[in-house]
Amino acid sequence: MNKYEVVYIIDPAVEEEARKALIAKFNDLITGNGGSVDKVEEWGKRRLAYAIDYKTEGYYVLVNFQAEAELPKELERNLQISDSVIRYQVIKQIERKVGIKPRAVRPAPVAPAAEAPAVEAPAEPAVETPAE
Amino acid sequence: MSEDRGEKRPRPRGKRPRRKVCDFCVSKIEYIDYKDVNRLRRSINERGKILPRRMTGNCAKHQRQLSEAIKRARAIALLPYTVD
Repeated sequence: MNKYEVVYIIDPAVEEEARKALIAKFNDLITGNGGSVDKVEEWGKRRLAYAIDYKTEGYYVLVNFQAEAELPKELERNLQISDSVIRYQVIKQIERKVGIKPRAVRPAPVAPAAEAPAVEAPAEPAVETPAE
Repeated sequence: MSEDRGEKRPRPRGKRPRRKVCDFCVSKIEYIDYKDVNRLRRSINERGKILPRRMTGNCAKHQRQLSEAIKRARAIALLPYTVD
C-alpha cells in the first residue's frame, strides 16, 4: 500500500448534486479497488491562476488515499474520461524516512581557549636546571 | 544570459555581500508542500518565474524541492506559468 494524494478541479458550472455524485464516484472507485480514503477536502470554488478551457474558476477537491500501485492509473483514466473534471494531479506521498538521524548540528564553538589554559600548565620542572 | 551568471567581478573594497541563509532550513521545513501557495508565491518573481538560488540563498536540497513544488502547483492552476 502506498499513500497518494489527488487534486482535481471540477467545472464550476456543474450542479451541486452532480458534483457530490462525482466526488462519491471517485471515492468509491478507490475503496472498491482495495484502497482506502483517508481524507477528502473540498476547497470549494477558487480562481484559477490561468484560464483552462476559457474557465477562470474551478471547484477544487483534494483526496488523500492509500492504495496499491495499480490504482492511480485507473483513477487517472477515470478522471480523464469525466468531462466535468478540467484538471487533475495524482501524487505519491513521500514516506517519512525513519531510522535516519537528522544531521548533527555543528556545536557552537564554545570558547575553547577558556579551558585550555585553565588546566594548570605542567609547571616546568625547575628542579633540573644544571646551569653550567 | 551570461552576464547575470554571478561571475566573479571585483567588488568595492570593504563591501562584502552578506551570506544568505536558506529560509526553509531556518524555519525547519522538511517537505515543501505544493498546496502552500502563499509560501511558494514568495519564491517566484512578478513574471511567475522561479527565483534562482543566488537570489534567495536557498540550499540545494530545498531549492530542488521548491522547484518541484512550484511546478506541481502550476500544473493544477494554483500558480501561473507566466504573468504579463
